[in-house]
Amino acid sequence: MKTCIACGMPMEDISDFAGNDPGKDYCVHCARPDGEMQSFEEKRENLASFIVRTQGFNENAARKIAEDMMRKLPAWKDYFC
Amino acid sequence: MRVSTRQVQKQNTRKKIMETAYSVISNKGFSVPSSVIAEEAGISHGSIFAHFPTMNDLLNNLLSDFGDKMGARLHMLAKKSDSVDNLLKEHLKVLEEYEAFYSRLISEKNRLPDEAKTTFAVIQSTLALHFSNVIEREISKGTVRKLPTHMLFNTWLGLVHYYLMNKDFFSDGNESVIKNYGPELLSFYLKMIKNERGVYE
Ligand SMILES: [Zn+2]
Repeated sequence: MKTCIACGMPMEDISDFAGNDPGKDYCVHCARPDGEMQSFEEKRENLASFIVRTQGFNENAARKIAEDMMRKLPAWKDYFC
Repeated sequence: MRVSTRQVQKQNTRKKIMETAYSVISNKGFSVPSSVIAEEAGISHGSIFAHFPTMNDLLNNLLSDFGDKMGARLHMLAKKSDSVDNLLKEHLKVLEEYEAFYSRLISEKNRLPDEAKTTFAVIQSTLALHFSNVIEREISKGTVRKLPTHMLFNTWLGLVHYYLMNKDFFSDGNESVIKNYGPELLSFYLKMIKNERGVYE
């Protein structure tokens, strides 16, 4: 099974893929409204605000966790050299 | 590509060290010396260092591996859960499966290398993703009380972690706390958050 290169989510159903396109390597949550993949900064900010909203963490801690999550993913490996 | 016997052996030893470390740490905690892990795995102490130069290297590999495995399990189970009842039931199942190691992780994480905090945070964020999807759907249907997502999430984890961290008070010996108390925790939590009258607040 494919996992999203930008957030690691397993993509099982067609609806998990960006634009319902199983040829895509990233998921529906990592796509911009125009279908392109979000940038590093966009993804980090989205993940961090998601963490704040769902877990109530402090913003700096949330941003650090967002980066730690992204560190392992193929889409962002150039950002962590 | 042909893999040499020596490479296979090397991989097997590495796997053996990781598996043994997982079970020894589950039983004795993270402060266990590497010599105990070597002895338990039936290999020389030096052999551990050939694979993992420092104890932190071993811990980091173990934690990252654990995070990946538990994260994948949560993803798979959560995707099939359509209600908060089912999602939390599945969460308890995953916790029971990894109970001993997970309890050590949450009790000792502040004394561990940063990787431990990362592993913990990534596991919880995976859970939070599925939890928020399900709970926000229930809130909009009016079946769960309109309370902030992070407080609903933290209250559930706070409850479960309290029992796990104090398992010596709640269970005898190696009995599973989740097995013994999971159903009570779940039904109590659901009673607190459900919108019994079924009205919008
Ligand atoms: Zn994604």
